[in-house]
Amino acid sequence: MTQDENKEGIGGMANPTRYGIERVAYWLMRLSGLGLLAYFVAHIYETSNILRGQVGWNEFLELTQTTGGHIFLAIVIGMCVFHTVNGVRVMLGHGGVGVGKPARPDYPYDPASQNYRHKIGIYSAILLAAIAMMYGMAVMFGE
Amino acid sequence: MRESTIMKIHYGTALAAVALVAVHILMRLTQGFAESLEYENVLANYKFIPYAAMLELILILLSVHGFNGLRVILLELKQGRLYEKAVSYGCLAAMFGLIAYGSRTIIMTNMGMV
Repeated sequence: MTQDENKEGIGGMANPTRYGIERVAYWLMRLSGLGLLAYFVAHIYETSNILRGQVGWNEFLELTQTTGGHIFLAIVIGMCVFHTVNGVRVMLGHGGVGVGKPARPDYPYDPASQNYRHKIGIYSAILLAAIAMMYGMAVMFGE
Repeated sequence: MRESTIMKIHYGTALAAVALVAVHILMRLTQGFAESLEYENVLANYKFIPYAAMLELILILLSVHGFNGLRVILLELKQGRLYEKAVSYGCLAAMFGLIAYGSRTIIMTNMGMV
């Protein structure tokens, strides 16, 4: 195999199926981060409509308080919960919590840090995000 | 600033923001969701100084955390002296711009300039 054939570029790097749940968490963390930043900027703009008075505020609410707006907000809730829970996992990992003890690298060279504790953390983040999305939708659509 | 210091700020702003955003969301649940977004209720929120101060704090914490996160992502994609400087200063400028714009809303509404 030549060097060129071995290069898959961003597509290869983004492939979530090859490197396990840790790579999925890596991508979800970045995508949710970018999504939340975009939402945050939009939210700051959205709330600035209060300066246009009651008419301006109500006009903007008509745009956001719709079925589509509620679904969008449910996705934001999911991103927020995943980003938070997975972020706490990453912080603990950086602090040395749950990454296992240093040991001699032996075949098949499984990284000690990619252990069941952190896998449980990632699955928990996904599960909690799903629960929070359902709760959010129940609150928004329940009225 | 050293990257290790920046990461400490990144984690610190994240933890503080989680606590304050939780309060911000709980305020929406003290009454019905739609009711809490009515003009009079939102205006009353902004005029309550402790809550307005909390909003300002959330604005600063999330701006710092968000734009530093964007900077980290962009620096992972590509490296180079000029590129890294452009990304860092660009994110810093965007952060100050967003804080200024958000603060304008909080201060003007709090002072009744609506």
